[in-house]
Amino acid sequence: MIDPSGISAPAIWPAASPLTLTDGTIALLNLQAQIDGLEGHWTSAETATLIDLLILRGLILGRISDYERAAELANRAVGAATVDAAAYMARARTRAVFHRFAEALDDLDNADRMSPDDATAKRERAVILQAQGRYHESLAAYATTDDRVSQFERSAALTGLWAERGEADTAQRRYLDSLRSYRGISPFPVALLDFQLGVMWMRHQRLEEARTCFEVAIARVPAYAPAQGHLAEVEADLGNPESALTRLYPLAVSSDDPDYAAQLARILGEMGRDDESSVWRRRAADRYDELTATHREAFADHAAEFWLGPGKDPEKGLRLATLNLEVRETPRARELLAQAIDANIAGATSARCFSVT
Amino acid sequence: MSDHFSGPRALSEPAADITDVYAFPAPDSPDHLVLVLDVFGKAGPSAVFSDAIIYRFRIRPVEIAAMGPEAAFAPSQTEFTFDCTFDVPSGTGNAVRPVQYGRCLTPDGRVISFRADDENGGVDDGVQVFAGQRSEPFFLDVRMIEKTAATGKLSFKPKGSDTLYGTNILAIVIKFDWRKMLNGGPLFAVVCETLAAGKRPVRIERVGRPEIKNVTLSWKQFDQINRDLEIRDLYNSEDAFDVKPDYFDVYRMRMNANLAFHDGLDGKIDWPFDQHGNHPLTKLLLADFLVVDASMPFAEASYFDIEHSMLEGRSHTTPGGRWLNQDFMDFVYTLYVNGINGPPINDGVDAPIAWSSKAFPYLAPPNPTKAAVA
Repeated sequence: MIDPSGISAPAIWPAASPLTLTDGTIALLNLQAQIDGLEGHWTSAETATLIDLLILRGLILGRISDYERAAELANRAVGAATVDAAAYMARARTRAVFHRFAEALDDLDNADRMSPDDATAKRERAVILQAQGRYHESLAAYATTDDRVSQFERSAALTGLWAERGEADTAQRRYLDSLRSYRGISPFPVALLDFQLGVMWMRHQRLEEARTCFEVAIARVPAYAPAQGHLAEVEADLGNPESALTRLYPLAVSSDDPDYAAQLARILGEMGRDDESSVWRRRAADRYDELTATHREAFADHAAEFWLGPGKDPEKGLRLATLNLEVRETPRARELLAQAIDANIAGATSARCFSVT
Repeated sequence: MSDHFSGPRALSEPAADITDVYAFPAPDSPDHLVLVLDVFGKAGPSAVFSDAIIYRFRIRPVEIAAMGPEAAFAPSQTEFTFDCTFDVPSGTGNAVRPVQYGRCLTPDGRVISFRADDENGGVDDGVQVFAGQRSEPFFLDVRMIEKTAATGKLSFKPKGSDTLYGTNILAIVIKFDWRKMLNGGPLFAVVCETLAAGKRPVRIERVGRPEIKNVTLSWKQFDQINRDLEIRDLYNSEDAFDVKPDYFDVYRMRMNANLAFHDGLDGKIDWPFDQHGNHPLTKLLLADFLVVDASMPFAEASYFDIEHSMLEGRSHTTPGGRWLNQDFMDFVYTLYVNGINGPPINDGVDAPIAWSSKAFPYLAPPNPTKAAVA
């Protein structure tokens, strides 16, 4: 567990850097235009680009259907060209998105055999090792790509790694390095980085810092759904549930990701609006069941959080938290499992007390 | 592709990725010069210009400094620029494309406002500016070009497949009375750039001649010295009129190697290297700007005519520059492979989905997306 008292964040979080970036609305229109423009034009390079763009849109808009489409294209690409390293790398990326890390690493092994010097495959491996919580191996893998990637890519990757390890000072330093070294004008890479740091602060219960990060991410890309969702969560925790609800309603209605409905259920429940809460709880529960049936590794963590919280089924939460730790041994996964065990012990104790009385 | 997807940095921001540049005397008005800058290859219907980019046209009067085998241009230090910038578009309403406004700052300091996709564009005292989505004017068979590079054999088929068939780009077209707007000439060098806006704009990409980065510089495998180096982003960062000495030899060696590869595709040497070990085209092509003679009447296929005349030690008879409908891939392969001394090489793709017209804004209207057609 991280000791938050050991974290020394600056008293005043630095304002959004004066980067020259394309307006977030334009960037999203153009992301859509790139995807539409590639439809029906599928060389292997175009398929790989389309897969990357779909994953990016999935990340920004929180759209699971985009990830599913990317995975389908990647499977087809590998089927069509079994000796194409790029196809295996693309499939590795989609498998990593769905937390099928072992299979993703198999794909990278295949890509390595076909194209041993490819720096992209080495970087993909580093990302997957990081997601599995194999931080030392991930750092070593990043080191092998050092001279092949831009300074921004390197700093951004390390920001994420240190953030996941919970080493906030180092992550924050890397974050500022990343901003200083960014030479692009697309707002997406930096917004994704803001978001990553926001999640780190949120997990450290440093809610003001988290709020600032999410606000910066949204200023860069207003439609950034996960940033909106997490900002809503933080706002509710900071005592502004109405603002949180305003953010969450449109997301919960339009998104195929149940996280927003789950958050609505939680916040409405805490506000005592039980009828409304139960509507959103049912909606989230149905969708989590669907997703954990089709993509169990990918949604184990969020579904576990839901069942341990507003879903009120700690046993189910424990099963999913256990699976999540099997998939990736991160501090967060361990923490989630500990919460699940506590919830089940508490539930069992309360059940025993109830049966005694 | 002409300059589509040319380098990692351009790929990350499609609205900054210059796909083609054209410069030609206006077919519909002999006193006017037309410059065209295309960005965003394979643009879907929602594509718009970035508000963070300056779309810059740079023009310098240029002299012919040498004829014959040492043929060279001498660009003036005087420069004229047209800078186009765009607002964040307003609501889409029911249409897919939102309404976007832009401005063009002319060399004499005027600002011409226009609405994107308006066929007439903005007009002010001899200057007309169009910006918007249009049909891709370029055409080629990328797969066969790649196969040619991979196998070392010309792989074009009698009937090729146009990789860009039915796709769209975003175009900026500027038509102006060159005698009123520019000093010097009538020979002008033209380069287009995209720059990240800000207090000190940073160049993202620059394009002068077609197929310099992709066909002529991108293949690494023939370059025995820097075969691991992706040089296109480095090359993009250079000032076309003032390439720094730091990496000049890297570009030179790569170009020598790739031009020699192309020369050998027909099994004979048409371009023997000079006494300095350089391909005869390297010096002219590294002067990477379109050269157009604004005083000449419009011509359909005149790219490289000025340079070709210089190499042969005679005066040019066409405006040079580059017109939208020229079958460029046929031309460049014929030039590189047999020096225009042998039979024309046909890449099997002879037309785009729609020809550009001879009336402003010249490029054909955008095509429906494949999904919409389906």
